[in-house]
Amino acid sequence: MPSPFLTPGDQAPLDSLALLHLRRDQTVPTILRAHDDEGLGYNEGKVVNTRFGSFPHSTLYHKPWGSQIVASKVDTGSRGRRNLKRKAPTADNDADSTPTPTTAVNEDAAEDETPAIQQEQQQQQQQKPKAAVAASSGFLHLLYPTPELWTASLPHRTQVVYTPDYSYILHRLCVRPGSSVIEAGAGSGSFTHAAVRAVFNGYPSDQQQQPESAQQPPKKRKYGKVHSFEFHAQRASKVREEITQHGLDGLVEVTHRDVYEDGFLLNRDTASTEGASESASSTSPKANAVFLDLPAPWLALRHLTRECRQQETGTATGGIQSALDPTTPVYICTFSPCLEQSERTISAMRQLGWLQIEMVEVNHRRIEVKREKYGLEFEGARGAVVFPRTVDEAVAKTRTIEERTRRFREAMKERDARGDEQSLGEAMREGVEEGVEDGKAGAGGAGEEDGEENVPSYKQGRLIHRTEPDLKTHTSWLVFAVLPRDWTEADEQRCREKWPAHKVIEEVKPKGKKQLKREERERKEKEKQ
Amino acid sequence: MHSYVRPNQYVAFRLPSDATKILKVVPDTMIFLGKYGTFPANQIIGRPFYLTFEVFDDASENNGHNLRLITAAELHAETLIADGEGDGDEPDANGESLPMRTNREIVDDGSAQKLTLAEIEALKKESTGSGREIIAKILESHSALDQKTAFSLAKYTLRKRKKYMKRFTVVPMDVSLLTNYMLQDKDAARIMELRDELIGLLGCWANVHHAGNSSLDGAVASKPRGRYLVIDETGGLVVAAMAERMGILYPHDGEDDQEQQGSDDVPSTEDGQGEQQQAASRHPRHAHMSAPDNSIVLLHANKQPNMSLLKYFGYDQDNPSETHPLYAHLKTVSWLQLLEPQEDTIYAQEPEHLTSDEIAALKSSKRSTYYRKRARWERTQAVVNEARAGGFDGLVVATLMKPISVLKNTVPLLSGSAPVAVYSPVIEPLTEVMDLYSTARKTAYITKRNQLGLQRQEQEKTADTTGIDSQDPFYPELAEEFYVNPTLLLAPTLETARVRSWQVLPGRTHPMMSGRGGAEGYIFHASRVLPTQQTIQAAGNPSRKRRKMDTSATPADSSTGADVEMNS
Repeated sequence: MPSPFLTPGDQAPLDSLALLHLRRDQTVPTILRAHDDEGLGYNEGKVVNTRFGSFPHSTLYHKPWGSQIVASKVDTGSRGRRNLKRKAPTADNDADSTPTPTTAVNEDAAEDETPAIQQEQQQQQQQKPKAAVAASSGFLHLLYPTPELWTASLPHRTQVVYTPDYSYILHRLCVRPGSSVIEAGAGSGSFTHAAVRAVFNGYPSDQQQQPESAQQPPKKRKYGKVHSFEFHAQRASKVREEITQHGLDGLVEVTHRDVYEDGFLLNRDTASTEGASESASSTSPKANAVFLDLPAPWLALRHLTRECRQQETGTATGGIQSALDPTTPVYICTFSPCLEQSERTISAMRQLGWLQIEMVEVNHRRIEVKREKYGLEFEGARGAVVFPRTVDEAVAKTRTIEERTRRFREAMKERDARGDEQSLGEAMREGVEEGVEDGKAGAGGAGEEDGEENVPSYKQGRLIHRTEPDLKTHTSWLVFAVLPRDWTEADEQRCREKWPAHKVIEEVKPKGKKQLKREERERKEKEKQ
Repeated sequence: MHSYVRPNQYVAFRLPSDATKILKVVPDTMIFLGKYGTFPANQIIGRPFYLTFEVFDDASENNGHNLRLITAAELHAETLIADGEGDGDEPDANGESLPMRTNREIVDDGSAQKLTLAEIEALKKESTGSGREIIAKILESHSALDQKTAFSLAKYTLRKRKKYMKRFTVVPMDVSLLTNYMLQDKDAARIMELRDELIGLLGCWANVHHAGNSSLDGAVASKPRGRYLVIDETGGLVVAAMAERMGILYPHDGEDDQEQQGSDDVPSTEDGQGEQQQAASRHPRHAHMSAPDNSIVLLHANKQPNMSLLKYFGYDQDNPSETHPLYAHLKTVSWLQLLEPQEDTIYAQEPEHLTSDEIAALKSSKRSTYYRKRARWERTQAVVNEARAGGFDGLVVATLMKPISVLKNTVPLLSGSAPVAVYSPVIEPLTEVMDLYSTARKTAYITKRNQLGLQRQEQEKTADTTGIDSQDPFYPELAEEFYVNPTLLLAPTLETARVRSWQVLPGRTHPMMSGRGGAEGYIFHASRVLPTQQTIQAAGNPSRKRRKMDTSATPADSSTGADVEMNS
């Protein structure tokens, strides 16, 4: 089965992962099914319920990716919940309840207004789900999974390696199509998915289907692969399950193993069918890149050396090979939240001959952009800051208030002079009303150039940006290093024979760009003189 | 994979001063590293990368070789000693028993160094070794060396080492290296100050990856896969980064230790259909710009694209090598060709078609001109038509133009669920994009479209009105008010990332003291979606807090984050 992560095709196929996008950072992963595989007893077959409505899978599969899907009228009512209860034997206190969900469907239908017809339909629906009826509101978008969307929606088992980290790590580790990557600490599988996308260059099963092109010995094509190690049995099996569901079998190999003790060689029986060396009981993953998301990376480092003998032969795998690709440099990244861990790791790396050791952290922030309504005329508008926009506006407003107060005082004085009790309210109203008119004129005068009244609300206010309120200020320390190929005296000798050390054809003396420029400049200056 | 230095390949030399020099390693020539030495290229060809060599100008000092390999152990030992570590002089050992050395007595006028500039110059002339003696001499002549703390001594030694050590490390040419080289050693503006971490993010958010081998598992390949639309005004750096992710950047990718050559020659016809038979070869033989899968379409603003940086990866845009994977997989289309193809001469004017007899009658030079022109026209037709047909799997933008104008013309060319990723060195062009795809605008757009739809229905009561649901009718009023159709992009997001490097040494771990300023760099990303033309309402509550307030459903796009409340 092709993976929807790597080759999604045009439309959502059955029995493969699809992401139901509700809103940003809220995505529901689901395996699209034609039938109700969980036995929840909806009339429409398998249904996803969200806060934006219910979506029977029959409205989702075979739709083009990216489609906006309208919610359906599904009788969620008590049905879904009660069936869940029935599954648990202790909750079975309903008098009418029957043990199997299929009969429960019939029963629920019987409670409907037209029981006879419904019941007949229900019997048919055992085979064929009811056609979905569009609801008046609610929708979602059907997206194919990408490592980014998956990272945002995956079920958390451990700390997740997020996109800003893994994108940089994979870039720095030079993980490219055809690479072999070791990942230790599969965790929640976010890095696994990103890594398999990076190494993917074809499904390994293609090799068997290869057409008749045997006229030339087919170039040995190396397929990219991720070797994932996890010491937590439950997590390992969960990751393995996900890999199968996501169509990544053969591209990712999950091994349940304590890598501190047992290293990174693959047991032959669990290893894929790729050519294994006959004598050894285990094969090497021939890694080009290593990512260690472990509490103590320095303990795993001793299994990642070039020398075959240095590994402890007493261990279960009896490693006599190196887990690294002997023909390429090997890049490593360790991911540790604490500084002390990184320091120990780096010290171990120095002892083991890793080069170009560098520690970095990735600071990432998301930025929110919105229109900020700001000004006196937004009085009453939601989310607006009612405050003068300029000093002029502030002065105008205060002046208005002063004016109003003055008029009020005058009115009071007048009243006192006349001794007329009755006209107090009138006078006050008069004064205030005049003031309001003045105030409006003042505010309008200041805000004139914006002409906000005629502008649609989505254009009102000032466009501003700020960092989003939830900020991840630290994820982990990333330690990068590289281990060059082994280079022996014999290799050097061979190279010296092939490329005679002192053979230099003098006339093609290359000059650096800067040198050329300098010479050019000097020449011109001379000409000037 | 980069396993060893190949002849005629560009490689980088990392120098003690932390500068990088990129040179082409031509066999049988000399390599000049300025004051860090000179040596024959043949002495590094075939050697693995990441090795550090010491340069001896006089080969007789080193068994007849100019280069001496420095082992990792030696390198680290030097670093550790230079950093005042490892020889029992740990900084915390200074604590109680020994008096703490401080910089109290240090005179800050440089008089402590007894060697004069002229003497050092003379030393340099005399010595042919790798600079070690000079550094030793300089340290010896420093009168106040014993007053230095371990840290300052380490720093001093390191500084001298950077200045006088004649050594280098050979590093393979890749996108990451080129980025840092352009940023630090060259003109950062040429690559729009694009940093490594942002290139990584850009590629991930655009979901750029190898498309697999579709001719083999052809059953599911209902359409060509892995077609990406790229707008790159960084001189080819973004194209290189995406090509690297797609496995089409390095000419020797996937080859073994032994050299394999001559296997990838290209047929002279412009026929790209025959790849089924050649599927077994590493890069199926395709004519120029004719690969159906795993390809990049580069849209360029001028008549010719600027991809000058691709030369470092062996791809010369003026004279592309037929064996380079980009030859078939990189297609270039100008904006004029995309939007107004009939106004482009090459596209619109078909060269006269000659019969085989007529061709035979031509002079050989004219015949080749005829073939060339014909091929160019056919190629342009194919590439432009393919680009205009759309259905791309991702969009990557790093442009000097207004990004929104690019999105207006490219987003409709994407297939459903395809991601969009836009880089900008500064934030303002991207806040504009965010604003034009805001939820409030989406709501207004949908409302207005529904209004216009109703109006039109009333105007043409006789006409068949069911068509409105099935396809997007064009309303000039709508296009006038809304520069882009805001409903085409889902979950527009703006973000930035910055990497900070640290010095890690026991007791002396701290962030690097200086770094590069300049543009912060931002990434906008979103997914292309296919909005339904039905009148639908958003359901649900924008957030739990507002459950009670928000009783009436508004026609909003509930999918774009927390600002549904902006609608009312």
